[in-house]
Amino acid sequence: MPISRRSFLRSSSALVALPALESVGFAKLASAVSVTTAPKRMVFLSMGWGVTKESWFPKLDQVGRGYDLPKNLAPLARYKDDITILQNLQHKYSTEAHWGSTFWLTGANRYGVPGQSFHNSISADQVAAEQFGRDTRFTSVQLNGKGANGHGPGSSLAWSRQGKPVAGLDTPVALYHKLFSDDTTPLEQRQAMLKKRRSVLDSVLEDAKSTQKGLNATDRDKVDEYFQSIRDIEIRLSKEEQWLDVPKRLPQDPVKEPLASLQGYEEVKVMYDLMAAAMQVDATRVFTYRMPTDTLIQSLGATITSHNMSHYAQGERRQISEKRDETHAELIAYFIDKLKASKEADGSSLYDNISIAFGSNINSIHYLTNCPTLITGGGAGVKHGRHLVMDDRKTPLCNLWLSLLKGSGVDVKSHGDSTGTIDELFV
Amino acid sequence: MFSNQTLKQLAAQIYRSPLQASLAILGVALPGICFASNESGGLVHGIMPERHFELLEDNCLNCHDAFEEKGGVNLEDLSFKMDTLEAAELWQKVLNVVNAGEMPPEDEPQLEGEDKTEFLADLSNQLVIARDALSDSGGVITMRRLNRREYENTIESLLGVQVDASDLPDDANPGGFDTNGSALYFSSDQFEQYLKIADRALDLALATKRKPETKKERIEAEKLQLRRVQQSVANITRDYLAEQYPEGKSASDLDFVLMGKALETNQNYRWLNYEAYLENPNIKNGAVLYNFFNDFSLEGIELPADSVARKYVIRARVALLDEGVPEHRRYIEYGSAPSGVKRGEMSVYGIHKVKGTMDEPEIIELEFIPGNSGERSLRIRERAINSLNAAKRFFRDSDEATGEGPPPAIWVDWVEWEGPLVDRAPIEANEKLFIPRSNGQTEEQYHRAVLESFAERAFRTKSPAPSYIDRLMALYRGEVKEGVDPMDALKEQLAIVLASPGFLYLNEPVHGEEQRELSAGELAVRLSYFLWSSPPDDELKRLAYSGRLTKSKVLETKVKRMLRDPKADEFVSGFTHQWLHMERLDFFQFNYQKYPRFDDSIKEAAREEVYATIRNLIDEDLPLSELLKSDHVVVNNLLAGYYGIDGVEGEHFRRVPVPEGLPRGGLLGMTAVMAMGSDGERSSPVERGAWVLRKLLNDSPPPAPANVPQLGRFEGEHLSARILGKAHQEEPQCAQCHRKIDPIGYGLENFDAVGLWRDEETLRYPFQEFTDREKADDKDWRKKIPPRITAAIDPSGTLPDGTPFRDFYELRDRISEKEADFARGFTEHLIEYALGRPFGFVDYNLADSILERAEKEDYAMSSFILGVVQSDRFSLKH
Repeated sequence: MPISRRSFLRSSSALVALPALESVGFAKLASAVSVTTAPKRMVFLSMGWGVTKESWFPKLDQVGRGYDLPKNLAPLARYKDDITILQNLQHKYSTEAHWGSTFWLTGANRYGVPGQSFHNSISADQVAAEQFGRDTRFTSVQLNGKGANGHGPGSSLAWSRQGKPVAGLDTPVALYHKLFSDDTTPLEQRQAMLKKRRSVLDSVLEDAKSTQKGLNATDRDKVDEYFQSIRDIEIRLSKEEQWLDVPKRLPQDPVKEPLASLQGYEEVKVMYDLMAAAMQVDATRVFTYRMPTDTLIQSLGATITSHNMSHYAQGERRQISEKRDETHAELIAYFIDKLKASKEADGSSLYDNISIAFGSNINSIHYLTNCPTLITGGGAGVKHGRHLVMDDRKTPLCNLWLSLLKGSGVDVKSHGDSTGTIDELFV
Repeated sequence: MFSNQTLKQLAAQIYRSPLQASLAILGVALPGICFASNESGGLVHGIMPERHFELLEDNCLNCHDAFEEKGGVNLEDLSFKMDTLEAAELWQKVLNVVNAGEMPPEDEPQLEGEDKTEFLADLSNQLVIARDALSDSGGVITMRRLNRREYENTIESLLGVQVDASDLPDDANPGGFDTNGSALYFSSDQFEQYLKIADRALDLALATKRKPETKKERIEAEKLQLRRVQQSVANITRDYLAEQYPEGKSASDLDFVLMGKALETNQNYRWLNYEAYLENPNIKNGAVLYNFFNDFSLEGIELPADSVARKYVIRARVALLDEGVPEHRRYIEYGSAPSGVKRGEMSVYGIHKVKGTMDEPEIIELEFIPGNSGERSLRIRERAINSLNAAKRFFRDSDEATGEGPPPAIWVDWVEWEGPLVDRAPIEANEKLFIPRSNGQTEEQYHRAVLESFAERAFRTKSPAPSYIDRLMALYRGEVKEGVDPMDALKEQLAIVLASPGFLYLNEPVHGEEQRELSAGELAVRLSYFLWSSPPDDELKRLAYSGRLTKSKVLETKVKRMLRDPKADEFVSGFTHQWLHMERLDFFQFNYQKYPRFDDSIKEAAREEVYATIRNLIDEDLPLSELLKSDHVVVNNLLAGYYGIDGVEGEHFRRVPVPEGLPRGGLLGMTAVMAMGSDGERSSPVERGAWVLRKLLNDSPPPAPANVPQLGRFEGEHLSARILGKAHQEEPQCAQCHRKIDPIGYGLENFDAVGLWRDEETLRYPFQEFTDREKADDKDWRKKIPPRITAAIDPSGTLPDGTPFRDFYELRDRISEKEADFARGFTEHLIEYALGRPFGFVDYNLADSILERAEKEDYAMSSFILGVVQSDRFSLKH
């Protein structure tokens, strides 16, 4: 079979060749992608520490279309009509001034459960993934840059329905292999492996059952966490099984295996490349990225840590903080370039069907009100090109998440502490 | 006299009766009264003192009553007792808007002065009480998963090998301890990590069944250095040629003149430095550690590929090049630069002070276990600040002075590694794993027996169910049938055991009872995870199963022995790090230009000083109050040099008397503690003051509120911390806490950001005025250096209770008189750490009884630890 030979091309640094979409393996896949309208996608990008207050936010008296793009967002000028900046969004329960990401997509109350000192709930991306992830090889993909302080507890931006952290990939090279490297072991062997992994789960469940005997209620809850995680793996295995004989698709423009040493600026750029490539082959429809902070500013020449920087005042700290903002803007513009250039089967571009949110739970320094929020992409039907200042200074950020979810066609009634949708986004 | 009334009820009551009378009967909850037992003996919640009713009525209720409910906020039905999440949330909201200055609205009368300050003080303090009460577990100890530290130690005790578990969540519990069961979650990603780590550990463990063959290799240092110098010269020359001769010039055209030119024009690697190097006679038979590459390092000492996780000894023959080498340049560091470490930096594993001379070089010896393959490529360098920029600057500064870069200080003759050393631990672990094979047992039967006995040990107090072993053996048989080597198949099953709940959780079933006494085995487990963060050893198990552990005297003797064991270091560092919030030490990067003496080695020694001091108090059973004030310090040679204490030789920590006139002795004299109270640039009186209140005086201020405006109006001015801090006193919402916090911090201002003593504070460092580019562009920049701006330090102030102090010494004396408060805070944290749940209402009696005993025993360290261990609660599952 030609397709299995192709899968042997997975050599470490070689350019991967174009896929022949009409090949045998792809026929199976056709049912999943032969929908007439292109699939909706969502991407959440969290920057950790907040932005430079003075030069990132547009002026409050310039609302709607006629606003001046602030200095730190200048690299996005060519896409001014494709982005929307929102002000006065916040999480009402936020109290942790060093946690830029823990509750960013959840809006949860840390103290929401009596008797516990930490609680979280499902994140917006995972809500989307429950629906968008059914037809793709990966339900969702979490990226979690190294050198990423300022984000708070968590393993990525994603939190499961049970409010437990979901792990992320921490390097572009790991993402590359997950997306594009095929396992070269023969199918039967992989099937046998899968069966074995199931048996492993069965054995530990056997022990979990006996461990649970005689426990009181709180302890049983703890073992339930264990049970739940085994169930999650089982679900993952079932999905793996479905896709076991479907080779991974490769993007039209070949993607090179990234260097293991990429850090900071280069890391983010390559992550964007790989995300765009993954969307081209519809490997997944939901991404989150907890972006590097320390390594990012150090790749821009900083000699301080991002926490030092976040307490900015005049001088090096402020300069770097601004440079960091501009760099993020530049990289988002680069990402939009890629998405616009990539066409779907129905003639639309990836950009037309995606929703991207960029921001942080932290406003600036250690403030938690008015979370910096920039959205782009045509997926949710947002009328872009505007600076929107919410009348209510305490509009839940979850209202935006709810709006984007609903706008993208996710069947959801509410999210976190949402009180409704932000209707002016769409008119 | 605490009221459970809402504002509405209260208003009704007040208007029924004469105002004065009703106010007189209203109770006033004092801040800091935390959990004081009330008449019914139940849990006390945060209660807003009702004397603030008037303020709320005058300023809030006009808009936020049940009728108006402006902004959807109705305060009229809000209970003064914060006993529900909803009430606490609403009060939190009130605090937030008042703190942020959002309420009352601008066009309404504002809250002012002392009323506002008092209101905010009470509200924030009561909210802390409410939070604690609402997250109180009611004494329930949630079943604990092994945290990452315990997991690593437990694997090591079972298999005799160290594992790298850094892929697991670190289990740091914000504001609490990593022993708190309810905060230790489990996710599917973790399960797969556990399997992976166990697999690696077993590979390693089973490979060292026999005594390994020890090898030795000696590398002449001049060879290592020459190789690197040649490489460097080649690179520089290549770049130079490419730039000068874009049309191309082949390497064979290279002559000495060109090479010299190339080096001369190179910014970072000056020719003169190479020239000086070539002229140095000591490069013939050794390496002179030069700062060629913006580090002094000697690279390329490669341990064998299979050295990971095995113990090696590294030796080097070294000498000081000159008798006049300054003290701080007499150290060599060894380490490596695995991927992720930035250029010019190195992960430092050890440091040693060189005493050998060129006439009489010395051989130094260090032990080392590479944790991953990146770490087995070793380097040796002269002690340095771990930063490429710092090294470049050091080079430039000395280059300007001498014309040939910093003069070399250390000579290395050769480097040698030997290993792996015979490590008894994995061999013993193997002996325990492979129990004697009975006569007539088939291989499968034998492997089943091995698996069973391993699972029995791994599960500690619970026996693995036969059905579980059956399943594992079914997997085993499947593997063997597929042609897998039986030993490998067995290994896979052993790995599964190490990812099973029986291993991962400290299991204490209650079998339907409300609470019960722990079995002797369970008590041994709790005890050993408390004091060792590891499972019980054979001796402890024997003692437990003999039934004697529950006897008070036996327990006491045993605890004292356990504390002497090196494994108790796990308790010392694990507890201390979290208790004193030492993660702050790694929160900021320290400005090496302002604080050139505070390099990584000092930082590590400073961290170790805290642990070593507490270890020393335990070892010698000294009073806890030594931490408040002591005439001794526990230091090594590095730190002694830093503090200015003479005569301390060697890298180990030991107790030495504090010389007359030095401000050391006790936590407040420690570099680590002072550095934690800074942001790497400046000392922070606020952080230090708050830390003293929290950790020493057991009088925690409420957490810093979010969204309070940064004090920006002084931006760009050079003002002392004390003047800057005055802004705190101007705003009532700041003043309420800062009037308690800041004065203590001012009393510590004689310590700079890295814990060195100073008489004045530097407000402007001349070098800050020029960027490197400006210096390069303007040759005369030195002439334009503005003067250093300094301010005198005024360390006088008062403690929250009004006790005055004139300077640091008096502050320390006053604090050390509050031994009882300190002991209470320590006890509460110790209970929390030991029982694995937040200190709660039910623990007050326990804390009282421990403190009663401790006081009688002069607060000796053992009295606290024994107090916890011998308490009823410690042997109870609730």
